Amino acid sequence: MFSTNDTIVAIATPPGRGGIGVVRLSGPDAHAITLRLVTHNGSLRPRRATLTRIACTTDAAAEPIDQVVVTSFPRPHSYTGDDVVEVSAHGSPVILRAIVEAAIDRGARLAEPGEFTLRAFLNGRIDLMQAEAVADLIDAVTPLQARAAFDQLEGTLTAAIAGIDAALFDLVARLEASVDFPDEGYHFVEPGALGRAIDDLAGRTAALLAGARRGQLIRDGLQIAIVGRPNVGKSSLFNALAGAARAIVTDVPGTTRDLVTEVVDLDGLRVTLVDTAGLRETSERVESEGVERARRAAAVADLVLIVVDEDEAELVGTKHLVVQNKADLERPSRGVRVSAVTGAGLDDLRRAIIAALDVEPVRDRPALTNVRHIALVERAHVSLTRAAGAARRSMPEEFVLADLQDARAALEEISGRRASEALLEHIFARFCIGK
Amino acid sequence: MKQHFDVIVIGAGHAGCEAAHAAARLGAHVGLCTLSTDTVAHMPCNPAVGGTAKGHLVREIDAIGGLMGRAIDATGIQFKLLNRSRGPAVWSPRAQADKKMYGRWVKHALDAEANVEWLIGKAGRILVSGERVVGLALEGADEYACEALVMTTGTFLNGLIHIGPDQHAAGRAGEPPSRELAESLKSLGFEWGRLKTGTPPRLDRESIDFDRHADDGTFAVERGDMPPVPFSFLSGAIDRPQIDCYLVHTNDRVRDLVRANIDRSPLFNGQIRGIGPRYCPSLEDKIVRFPDKERHQIFLEPEGVDAREIYVNGFSMSLPRDVQADLVHALPGLEDAVLLRPGYAVEYDFIQPTELTRRLETKRVRGLFLAGQINGTSGYEEAAAQGLVAGINAAHRALGREGFELHRDESYIGILVDDLITKGCLEPYRMFTSRAEHRLLLRIDNADLRLTPRGRDAGLVDNERWDRFCRRRSRFDRNLCVLETTPLRASSGDRVPAAQLLRQPEIRLVDLIAQGVVPHFESEPSSAAIDIASAETTIKYAGYLRRQQAEIERSRKDERRRIPPAFPFERVPGLSREVVQRLNQVRPDTLGQALRIPGVTPAAVAVLASYVGRFTPHPNML
Repeated sequence: MFSTNDTIVAIATPPGRGGIGVVRLSGPDAHAITLRLVTHNGSLRPRRATLTRIACTTDAAAEPIDQVVVTSFPRPHSYTGDDVVEVSAHGSPVILRAIVEAAIDRGARLAEPGEFTLRAFLNGRIDLMQAEAVADLIDAVTPLQARAAFDQLEGTLTAAIAGIDAALFDLVARLEASVDFPDEGYHFVEPGALGRAIDDLAGRTAALLAGARRGQLIRDGLQIAIVGRPNVGKSSLFNALAGAARAIVTDVPGTTRDLVTEVVDLDGLRVTLVDTAGLRETSERVESEGVERARRAAAVADLVLIVVDEDEAELVGTKHLVVQNKADLERPSRGVRVSAVTGAGLDDLRRAIIAALDVEPVRDRPALTNVRHIALVERAHVSLTRAAGAARRSMPEEFVLADLQDARAALEEISGRRASEALLEHIFARFCIGK
Repeated sequence: MKQHFDVIVIGAGHAGCEAAHAAARLGAHVGLCTLSTDTVAHMPCNPAVGGTAKGHLVREIDAIGGLMGRAIDATGIQFKLLNRSRGPAVWSPRAQADKKMYGRWVKHALDAEANVEWLIGKAGRILVSGERVVGLALEGADEYACEALVMTTGTFLNGLIHIGPDQHAAGRAGEPPSRELAESLKSLGFEWGRLKTGTPPRLDRESIDFDRHADDGTFAVERGDMPPVPFSFLSGAIDRPQIDCYLVHTNDRVRDLVRANIDRSPLFNGQIRGIGPRYCPSLEDKIVRFPDKERHQIFLEPEGVDAREIYVNGFSMSLPRDVQADLVHALPGLEDAVLLRPGYAVEYDFIQPTELTRRLETKRVRGLFLAGQINGTSGYEEAAAQGLVAGINAAHRALGREGFELHRDESYIGILVDDLITKGCLEPYRMFTSRAEHRLLLRIDNADLRLTPRGRDAGLVDNERWDRFCRRRSRFDRNLCVLETTPLRASSGDRVPAAQLLRQPEIRLVDLIAQGVVPHFESEPSSAAIDIASAETTIKYAGYLRRQQAEIERSRKDERRRIPPAFPFERVPGLSREVVQRLNQVRPDTLGQALRIPGVTPAAVAVLASYVGRFTPHPNML
């Protein structure tokens, strides 16, 4: 895995050219290494930007290669909890790479993916949920995704889970006392109250799970397939929703052969639009394969837009929305009327899609967005439900406790208070270098 | 030339007797050092064995081949199976002992071992050569050579008794403390601390009219189970006459007296610095720390069939003698009771058990083993369990065998040892069932199924016990088969296997047997409750047992993943200085143990795990 008490370095900004590029160092020698890179004399003032110049060889006569701003964040008040220095240079890949190489020459090591965040976790700056949120925040495509991830980073989910765990812990402690001190002559938890207490906890995990589907859609996005007979204007609609002429549009039926995809932001939802070949019987091999792919795309999509002009729609997919295209032409009205050509009705269609998906992108706080969290909350919920059942059937406390303890284990695994090595590696492997 | 023993055991209390017995049984020549053979397996506090989780320990000691279960079955005068209203996983046997008979029984058992030799005297100095134990010097007397030394000093190391303002150096009431031995041990560099425990006053039986107060309801009569469920897998039916105990409650007068005299309590005026057990609070603690509780339970327990002393359970204190007398007289029905001897608090030195390995051998001195209160525990059962582990391993050390370790997922003894060596002690340690991660699997009914094969491997289970165990195990297997194949009529009218009926919570195997509908079910008359519990639990709670078993399998990989003995924690990058310090202090032998060390986070163990796999020790380090 990682070693974590040497000094690591990486480019923190995305690959490619930009106005500014940032190189980040973290570890005990971050400050010393930086001082040997820059022309600035004396130490860096904590959390103050210092304008200086950077030279990248050890040769004393070497010419500086760039003017940079360096900022030192002494431990523990830094992102990782170790000494951190950020070097903001001009955003040329050549310069940034040279800085990184020079830092390595002076004793730093190139960071592994996710290593800055791993250090923050190991130093107790963030818990596991927050670490995962960093990855989500960086990967966010839509503002709503970013908000969900940011909430998680802020600890909203941490607080929700901790609240359930605290109540659970209190209940477990009292039940354990009943078992271990049977001579005390009274119940530490009244039998009637036990079932209610567990029901309350199960209600709280259920509420988290109820928000989970929406949270997951926000985080992972969803797929919408556009299907229909040839030449009904699927590709025009696709381009209209994508806001770009991605798919080739002609009046020749069967123009689209393969699947064409585009990721769009639909009122905050990350949506992958899939344009497909028109559905018809054909003996032509390429088109036949295209039709097959269209059906498969429809089968796995979260929502299928069935585009019709005047013919009967062939119903595909369980969840679908009939869209009548070419509304600019006088046609009888069926389904949602849009005109890909004029753009009329597109807002109605977007609203209809959101309604059909049952994922109001409302501005409340999304909580559970991550598959790992959902699986663990589900495990906790199942255990709580089983414990509630055992309590209602008046089973002895130790059986109720077996499931309550399991629920606790699941909740603690979410925050990383219990975690296996494999789990941590899996989580931290998701980060890209330098974040 | 000095007399030579394979193993010397210091102290003949519950830990020392188990250690000496186990080592002798394994073929070691044992010297058992004690001040007097009159106090062998003495019960200086509560004259009882067992209780929640403690009863589990006794069953496990017995299953491995120890003494305690047979001793209490032979001398118990009131038996109870606690938690009987709950499931069999938390049933715990408890029994009042005839204190004198108990000690005599254990003494005879040790006398019967040809390999045990008594060394009467006061242990003084541990003889060490290099980093290895080589012998023991008695105070002002001879030196003895040995390969392994087991120290079970109880409350004797610098023992100091408090009764009100009176303090006197003593190991127990009327016995001198061990000072030289304490200094000898500390000079070896062990981390040590100071704990406190206490005992209640004893009353004269003749001065209390039990019959009258039982009749008029002043005392609630506490009876034992009939028939008693024995502790030992070897015991037959127990038909000794059983005695009654009595329950009274404290009142406002007791509360007011304690409050009025609290500044005379060494526990509250700063005279005592040692830390006492929270789960066994003194009367002062009960009144001061729990002011909202109106009354507290007090049990009156005879110390033997014919004993004169009545033990006042729940009334331990360190107040001056005159206040103790007033407090006793304030209890209902005890207005005229005569105080035979006062309660007291005792402070004593202990060694932080993080100094020990899983075999209870010190890491600093090879061949030196510690067991019982010296390791910060309280309770005869906890002491005996450690004595058993230390005794087996001392013999293995002396005889060059491989050693004996028990784990958390197979026994309460394993949990006890793991907790001690991993977490150390901040207060006297007592076993609870809640300390077990997989409580449903660690039951009193299956202690033999879990541990008798382990005891056989260690060399402590003789042929008689082994044959009996094999019969019992095959009886258990046959019983499961019988229940799976005996057809019974369900309430629906269908005929279904008995096992299927038993999965319904309200159907009890004991009732089916009483109705005569499972005629092929077999049980030993003396342990029918155990045979029934083993079969019924296995069937009725199969889902729970399977889930816990699956958890064990899942965690076993990490739990038992070995950390090499010489592993250099300080060289693992990324571990904070505090974590490295704790790891070096405990020197965990598995990743599972590392994870349980206070202050060591899962993240740190994850980092550790990746290095443990890669580590190959340098030849110089081994």
